Amino acid sequence: MNSAYLKDKRILLVDDEKALLELVASILQDGGYRCLTTAGSVSEALSLSEKTRPELAILDVMLPDGNGFDLMAQLKQKGDYPVLFLTARGEEEDKFRGFGLGADDYIVKPFLPRELLYRVTAILRRTYREEPELVPLRDSAIDFSRAEIIRNGEHIPLTAKEHDLLSALYRSAGRIVTIDALCEAAWGDNPFGYENSPMAHIRRIREKIEENPSRPVSLVTVRGLGYKLIVEDK
Amino acid sequence: MKSVPKLIRRFTGLLLLSFVLLVAVNLALLIVIASRQVGTASPWATADRVAANLSRTETGFALSAAGADALQSSGAWAVLIDNDTRAVVWHSENLSASVPSRYTLPEIAGLTRGYIDGYPAFTGGTEYGLMVLGFPKGSFWKHMWPSWDYQLIAHAPQIALAVIATNLLVILLIYAAATTKALRSVKPVTDGIRALPSGEPVRVKAAGLLSEVALHINSTSEVLQMQKRQLQKRDTARANWIAGVSHDIRTPLSMVMGYAGQLQSSPGLTQEERRQAAVILRQSQRIRNLINDLNLASKLEYNMQPIRRREENAVALVRQAAADFINDDPDGKYPVEWTTCPSLSVCRISADRDLLKRAVSNLIQNSIRHNENGCTIYVSVAEAGPSCVICVEDDGVGAADAQIKELNAAPHYMVCDENTAGQRHGLGLLIVRQIAASHEGNVLIGHSRHGGFAVKITLPMIKKPRP
Repeated sequence: MNSAYLKDKRILLVDDEKALLELVASILQDGGYRCLTTAGSVSEALSLSEKTRPELAILDVMLPDGNGFDLMAQLKQKGDYPVLFLTARGEEEDKFRGFGLGADDYIVKPFLPRELLYRVTAILRRTYREEPELVPLRDSAIDFSRAEIIRNGEHIPLTAKEHDLLSALYRSAGRIVTIDALCEAAWGDNPFGYENSPMAHIRRIREKIEENPSRPVSLVTVRGLGYKLIVEDK
Repeated sequence: MKSVPKLIRRFTGLLLLSFVLLVAVNLALLIVIASRQVGTASPWATADRVAANLSRTETGFALSAAGADALQSSGAWAVLIDNDTRAVVWHSENLSASVPSRYTLPEIAGLTRGYIDGYPAFTGGTEYGLMVLGFPKGSFWKHMWPSWDYQLIAHAPQIALAVIATNLLVILLIYAAATTKALRSVKPVTDGIRALPSGEPVRVKAAGLLSEVALHINSTSEVLQMQKRQLQKRDTARANWIAGVSHDIRTPLSMVMGYAGQLQSSPGLTQEERRQAAVILRQSQRIRNLINDLNLASKLEYNMQPIRRREENAVALVRQAAADFINDDPDGKYPVEWTTCPSLSVCRISADRDLLKRAVSNLIQNSIRHNENGCTIYVSVAEAGPSCVICVEDDGVGAADAQIKELNAAPHYMVCDENTAGQRHGLGLLIVRQIAASHEGNVLIGHSRHGGFAVKITLPMIKKPRP
């Protein structure tokens, strides 16, 4: 997946621990992110956000002059951009509070560097979609904006359900998406109604994206669990 | 309280029995005493006997030896009043001088009922006249005017029964009134005693017969409440302490993990150095998992973990947990096989989604930890009667029978108040047990049919609604 365009996004990091700020900045820099601003307090974060107009904020919950939840509310008044909490507070209540207030993600310390990078990239991609985006597969490419598959120069349209299923698979590309999660994506939140099975749709998607649908290489089955979409440059 | 009516029944029974017994004893006593009064010893009988032993002789009258004996043994004197003249025609030798020698009809009627000159008089008939015996003064008391309504005598059995029944009723009423009053004061006390083990505060109104007992119950409840509060305080403090420590460790550990992670993929380092960084990272992750486990286990143990249960499909939930594990295990050293019967797509349970997923992933991690050389992990969900059985097993090294027995029986060191020197197993299984317990389920550890270790979580299933 092409994520180079995300590397220029302005990211605001707020944490009262200087060493941790340095670490996060260093991880993000290693991941290619170039526009980073760091702040050690609520007041500093507010004044910096005026100047830099961040496109993503990574906040700690406990700050010397206030808490991250209130800071998020103040930041969101000035600009609508995603907020990720990175905090030592691992309690469920804190997580629910953060998500309830509109946080986009919540990472509990300690974290793995690649986990942080993965989540930051995921949030940015969700928020700042570059349209149109062609998703390259082994034998074809998906054009989600037009809801079609391009294979050997041929444009094959996707049905609404096929589009929903492929979107769900693409959101977790390279990872198993369970049968249940696919059903939920295509038919809504009804984990108990199994009148619908994604199998027939998956077969038709394969006929569209695979050179040899009976030996799939892009949309593979994980027996009993679900399916996995393999995107080429990922 | 169930025992109170039982108690009342018993006492009422006892009361009735005593009453019947009392009547029987009284009757028996009456019979014994009365029987002494009748028969040969009766003064009337003595008078009759003396009369029968009197005979006419040429010179007058003579009393036979038997008659004389009867007279003598009773200490009585005797006179014979002639039928026609109503004068004394014969008398015994010990006759007192004050006894009249002639009687009018009213006098005879009077002496029959009563006394002659203070001597209790008893009569017996002879063909010659009336035999009158005067017993020593003060030896008998005579009813002077005994007369009974005929109906009274005729209905004596019914009247006796009615009297007994009335007595019984009165006694029962008195008893019922007394018992009701006692019960009214006993009921709050028994209710209070019954409520004590529930752990809720108990307040019994201190009034009536048992006010002292009520006061004692109240003070016992206060003591229990205080102990409960202290225990809760201590548990909360312990859980908070663990939460605090785990919180404080997180930030420094972030640093360790963050830089180790960077070093691990740093192109400027040698392969050996990168491997060392990887070890630091892996061990740091172990510390992280440990403090997370410790925190969760202590919260579950002290009921401080909020449990948000809703209707879930166990199949989907466990499938997601298995998929999450595979997604995060890129080297595939531990392949996961989904062995749930394909026809089972829904198994409804009431569960906290995150906690139950945590339990399943703990079991998968457990298999990994005990099989460093890799193993296949088999995950399944099955229905067994009214239960949903989630099974995680492996084909790894497994455990000996004794070990499995110990794992199933022995408490974990965290929840054990005995010497814990011998225990070295992790918190993973404890958390699984705690999570199962918070869902009214249980955990059974055993051998897997695949050769390794098997853990089964059994949870109650929600009944399928009729379509």
